[in-house]
Amino acid sequence: MAKVQVLNVAVLDNPSPFRNPFQFEITFECMEDLPEDLEWKIIYVGSAESEEYDQVLDSVLVGPVPAGRHMFVFQADAPNTGLIPESDAVGVTVVLITCTYRGQEFIRIGYYVNNEYTDPELRENPPVKPDYTQLQRNILASNPRVTRFHINWEATMEKMEDSENVDPAPNAMLPPTSMPGKAPPLGLMPDNSMDCL
Amino acid sequence: MKLLKPSWVNHNGKPIFSVDIHPDGTKFATGGQGEDSGKVVIWNMAPVLREEDERNENIPKLLCQMDNHLACVNCVRWSNNGLYLASGGDDKLVMVWKRAAFIGPSTVFGSSSKLANVEQWRCVMILRNHTGDVMDVAWSPHDVWLASCSVDNTIVIWNARKFPEIVMTLKGHTGLVKGLTWDPVGKYIASQADDRSLKVWRTMDWQLETNITKPFSECGGTTHVLRLSWSPDGQYLVSAHAMNNSGPTAQIIERDGWKTNMDFVGHRKAVTVVKFNPKIFKKKQKNGSTPKPSCPYCCCAVGSKDRSLSVWLTSLKRPLVVIHDLFDKSIMDITWTLNGLGLLVCSMDGTVAFLDFSQDELGDPLNEEEKNAIHQNIYGKSLAITMESQLSSTIIENPEMLKYQQERQGNQNPNEAQGIGPENQTPKLTNVLNGESLEDIRKNLLKKQVETRTADGRRRITPLCIAQLDTADFLPALFNSVPILPGSSASTQLTPQISSDSSTANSLGLRPSHDPTTTSPNKTSHFPSLSTNTFSFSGLSCSGTIEPMKALDSRFTERSKAMPGVTSVPLTIVVLWFCLRVKDSSSVKEPKGKDETSSDSEDKIMVKSIAKRKGEMEGAEVVEKRKKGRPRKDAKTMPFPQVTFLLSKDAWISKSTDGAFSEGGFTVSTDGVTYLEVENEVSVVSGSRLSQLKWSREGREWDVLLPSRIIIAAGSSNVVAVACEDRTLSVFTACGRRLIPSIILPVPMSALHCSGHFVMALTASAMLSVWDVQKQTALVKNESLNPILSGTDATVSQSFLTQQGVAVVSLSNGKTYCFNSSLETWNLIADKQDSLVQCTDFRNCVSAQDALGSMGPLALTQGRNLSAGRLASRLSSTPHHLQQGMTLAFLEKQLSSALILLSASEYRHWLLIYARFLVNEGEAVREGQCHCSQG
Repeated sequence: MAKVQVLNVAVLDNPSPFRNPFQFEITFECMEDLPEDLEWKIIYVGSAESEEYDQVLDSVLVGPVPAGRHMFVFQADAPNTGLIPESDAVGVTVVLITCTYRGQEFIRIGYYVNNEYTDPELRENPPVKPDYTQLQRNILASNPRVTRFHINWEATMEKMEDSENVDPAPNAMLPPTSMPGKAPPLGLMPDNSMDCL
Repeated sequence: MKLLKPSWVNHNGKPIFSVDIHPDGTKFATGGQGEDSGKVVIWNMAPVLREEDERNENIPKLLCQMDNHLACVNCVRWSNNGLYLASGGDDKLVMVWKRAAFIGPSTVFGSSSKLANVEQWRCVMILRNHTGDVMDVAWSPHDVWLASCSVDNTIVIWNARKFPEIVMTLKGHTGLVKGLTWDPVGKYIASQADDRSLKVWRTMDWQLETNITKPFSECGGTTHVLRLSWSPDGQYLVSAHAMNNSGPTAQIIERDGWKTNMDFVGHRKAVTVVKFNPKIFKKKQKNGSTPKPSCPYCCCAVGSKDRSLSVWLTSLKRPLVVIHDLFDKSIMDITWTLNGLGLLVCSMDGTVAFLDFSQDELGDPLNEEEKNAIHQNIYGKSLAITMESQLSSTIIENPEMLKYQQERQGNQNPNEAQGIGPENQTPKLTNVLNGESLEDIRKNLLKKQVETRTADGRRRITPLCIAQLDTADFLPALFNSVPILPGSSASTQLTPQISSDSSTANSLGLRPSHDPTTTSPNKTSHFPSLSTNTFSFSGLSCSGTIEPMKALDSRFTERSKAMPGVTSVPLTIVVLWFCLRVKDSSSVKEPKGKDETSSDSEDKIMVKSIAKRKGEMEGAEVVEKRKKGRPRKDAKTMPFPQVTFLLSKDAWISKSTDGAFSEGGFTVSTDGVTYLEVENEVSVVSGSRLSQLKWSREGREWDVLLPSRIIIAAGSSNVVAVACEDRTLSVFTACGRRLIPSIILPVPMSALHCSGHFVMALTASAMLSVWDVQKQTALVKNESLNPILSGTDATVSQSFLTQQGVAVVSLSNGKTYCFNSSLETWNLIADKQDSLVQCTDFRNCVSAQDALGSMGPLALTQGRNLSAGRLASRLSSTPHHLQQGMTLAFLEKQLSSALILLSASEYRHWLLIYARFLVNEGEAVREGQCHCSQG
């Protein structure tokens, strides 16, 4: 089971001018302390035709993530308009939020995005070259498409065994005050070494 | 009989594989296929039962849905106590769910259903072991075990008290195991598999009791599930899919001899599920008719692949009712309400049907006493526990039952204690953080959230923690009731403010040290005298010029006067623990002692404790050995797994009014098998009283006689040191040879520690000495504690000696010092109030492998402060550069402290963290220095 559950994504600053940065407020819950960071990405699908026009708007590490419920705002700049096919600038496309852990994607949240001119005149007669300053971006926040993937949340088996060997008593049932643990075997003398004194 | 198909109970048309009604009858769970995952849904029962509730829009129908299973859920089962829900699915996992205490309604993000979850059920345990789809799960009576069976041909018995511990894996089936049922008596568990066998296993030794194959030999084809069931009286086991004369049946297997003479016939296709009514019935007495004794009978529902359901009474030869065409596809699961009159059935077609019977149809359900009486008749009293209500009046035969009963009692107030109760859950973390509402936080989250750049220039956001998970998690308190360890708590609990002069305060001050030992309720009874025999203990205050014992006396009467003028500093040694373990022989004097303690300066009962460094053994135990002739033989072995570093010993001295020491024997153990026992006044030889020190380890022992009363003894694996009332200190080897003639001390000993060849002495005049008795040199010579004590009201709360002979002294104000003999200075190595500690964040530089290195004298003095600092760092919004600076400063402090303590492993530990931190934060200048120091 996934250790991280996305509880909510609030789309902030929506609708907004096309050149405004994307802002997603992401709330997620983690079942146990994660030793590594989560990596979140926002991907803008430039054209439905081809993945070639996908743009990773930004990627960000999120951590440390202890067990519990957390939130953060993921802000990323608007897509580079130079990379968007002119024919796809206006109309419906998709923005994706993905999250990976240890390099494995475990959730992908897709939103439909509608880019349209606010000015009725422009809407009627759109310019051949898209005028991005006049475009408004509207993310269909009410209808996220969530795909979850099964990933391996643990480190490699070998690593796990290591940590088990090294740390014998991370016993959650014991009060934290009593965790000083065992003494290092420094200068250890065999018990009977004094017998000859 | 009434029949209802609540259309709102559905998985959006996807199959429902399992249904189970909660023991309290207020809700039920369904399990099956979700959109692209497995799905568990918890539904409200009320709208099923009552039409007006179904119409009332204020009554929620769906309580919670969980899509955490990665693949289809084949089985959902409530625990008998109703606290947990277990689900098993095609993703090979068993999940255990508990109602979460801390959050309000929420939706499943991204699900097409916009219904909010009314209740929050959270997965508290994932049980991984099966290598194939989990087909059925079953809680044992009283929820001692949870069994799961799988297409990997095995059955796993999980310890439901200690998930995810596996009690046993039952192997023997050669086909997919598709159904499980526990004997209501708890003696057996039965399983049915595709290998055309039904196996009964004993719970005693988890071996096969019987293997039944005959009724199944003809079985062809497969059914998705084979849910068999055991009758509530335990007498009959009814299988799913069996064949008799090429007709599908449900085979009845008698408990007595596992005979297979009867079956339920009539279904046209394979039987997928059988479920006994939890009640036993007796014939309804008609008005007017003479009540004649009739045999009680059971009721059983059978569901089949032929889409029909039959309900049978064991008193009738024909089914009570058969319902055809209730569904479009095979019946998958059946569940009865606890009162035995309602029945929910689910089908592969994704719908659920509810049957409501009247008592006229089924008969009068036996009440629990009657049911119990039947059990008693058949199995004898010990086995006759079927209901929780019975448990309190039943003989407790085994630890599980005892545990269960305690648990039940504990659960009377579950909400206060654990927040696990299904009702009136209080949100644990409200929507307010540091006085800010969640809304306020959200408004400013983007500005406030901590964003940093990693070394490779990537953005890294520290998420804002808005709710911590309730760590109570799976186990109710009773389950993890490892006794709170007295030694460990003492070190943190007993520090402050015991130095006050009034004796009442002393007696109050002693209280906290009682608590650890009294946490276990049954222990309390051992110490009924707790309040009456309050032992006060004195801190020792003494000016060098006063005759020692007088100085002690002055403690109670003159201290307030004496203190301002006296330069020496009060020194309080805190009782570590089990000072409760009062010797009976002296208890006669105690009431008197107590009275006079509060009024009379002459007498005192002094308790001292000695903390001793012990580095050799882990998991050591302090064993208190009692002297012969003591009436109470309740000497306990104290579990002492954690304070292996600081091994506590207790010393006990009491003095009565006439100035004579009572028979104050005390023991000191240096490891699990070494005892040091002191007996004062062993014998009186020509007017002088002799004291005896006994040492024993693994059968070897020696003893020495000393001419004066022993006040403190301490030992290491190499030496044993003894301080006597006559201000002498004697040092012996571990084999009992005197190493040096008695050392004469200026004032009485206050604390004594041994470690390796080192002996550390802290005198009542606050002077510290450390000797290396092997080389016969003094490492620290009569060093005063004044530098660290002056100007504060602090007292010494703890002292110990490291393996390398470094003396460490902790004060009640949270500061810890060590004495560096080469610089001849006191060095501050830990400060609990240190603001640096609060704001450091080097968490991402610590790996799990580092845990070991962090254990040592430094960790001992700093304790849990470090983790507290990390916690604070998550919630504080300290600017990053400031935090970075503080972390650096802190790490450097740790490094130097570890160095001065000569604690190699800790030095290495902190050096690694320090280096990682520098690398992460890109501090090139110091990095170079770090390399140097490493080299």
